[in-house]
Amino acid sequence: MLTEKESLDLIATMIQKAKGNFHERGTSAIMWGAVVGFCGLFSFFKFEFEINTGWFDVWFLTLLAIIPQIYLAIKESRDIKVKTHQQEALNAVWIVYGITIFGVIAYGNIVPGATEQIFKSVGKELLEKNIASGEIKTYHPQVFSQSSLLLLVYAFPTLVTGLVKKFKPMLYGAVLCYALFIASLFTQVKYDMLFNGIAGIFNWLIPGLILRNRFKKGLPC
Amino acid sequence: MFKELDPILHSQLRLSVMSLLISVKEAEFTFIKEKTNATAGNLSVQVQKLKDVGYIDVKKEFKDNYPLTTLNITAKGIECFEQYVKDLQQYLQVK
Repeated sequence: MLTEKESLDLIATMIQKAKGNFHERGTSAIMWGAVVGFCGLFSFFKFEFEINTGWFDVWFLTLLAIIPQIYLAIKESRDIKVKTHQQEALNAVWIVYGITIFGVIAYGNIVPGATEQIFKSVGKELLEKNIASGEIKTYHPQVFSQSSLLLLVYAFPTLVTGLVKKFKPMLYGAVLCYALFIASLFTQVKYDMLFNGIAGIFNWLIPGLILRNRFKKGLPC
Repeated sequence: MFKELDPILHSQLRLSVMSLLISVKEAEFTFIKEKTNATAGNLSVQVQKLKDVGYIDVKKEFKDNYPLTTLNITAKGIECFEQYVKDLQQYLQVK
C-alpha cells in the first residue's frame, strides 16, 4: 500500500515523465524557414542585380511548399503517441497564421485592382505626376510595403510558440522580426524582401535546425 | 477528521495512469505502458477499472490494420484526482 508521501511523489514523477516526452522534429519550421529565406534573399538579389525572371515569381514556391508540408504533418502526426493541450493550442495558432498569411497576400493582390474599379465606377481615376517633366498619367494603385505586414504576421505565431514552449531561438527570432518590421516601414521594397528572407532564416530555419538536432539527441523541446 | 482516500486512485498503477493522463489531452495505451513499465495484461485490468468508475474514456480503433487504444481523462476523473490530491495534502500537513 502506498503512503501519502509516496503517492504525491508518484504523481509528481508521472507528470514530469509526461512533460518530458514531447519531441518536436522541427520539420515544418525547417521547410518554411528555408523556403521563405530563399524567396526573400532571391527577391532581394533580383532587385539588386536586375535579374529578369519573366513571369515567374519566386514567391510561388511558398505555395508549392504547402503540399509536402501537409504530407509531412500527416505522416508525423501518425507517430505521435500522445496529444497535449499545449500542442493542440499551438497547432490552432499556426492554422490561424496560415489563414492570415493567405489573407494578407490576397489583400495585396486584390485591393489595388478593386480600388481602381471602384474609382472607375464613380467616373474617377487616380493620376500620377512626374515632378521633373510634368508628365501626368494614370496611376495604378498598389499596397505600399506589403512585406511589412507579412513580417508582422510572421512574428506573431513565432513569439507565441517561443513564449509557450520557452524556446529562446524562436523568441529571439520573433523579436528580430519585430525589429525588421519597424525598419521595413522606412525602406524600399528591395530591402523589405531582404528582411523577409532574414526573418524566414531566424524565425524558423535556425530554430527548426536546433529542434531537429535536439530530436536526434532524444532531448525534449 | 480525515477523509478516506479514494481506493480507486490509491493504487500505484492506477494513480500512475491518472497522473499521466491529467497532463495530456489523450495518450495511446503503448505510451502509458512505456511510462509506467507495467505489463500489458496488468495495465489493461487497471485501465478497465478506471473506465468502469468513469474516470477515463477508452477509445478503440484501427490504425494501419493494427488495433489502437487511446485513453483520456474525463471531467469526473479530473475532479476525483484533484480531490484525492487535496486529501493527500491534508494528511501530510497534519503529520
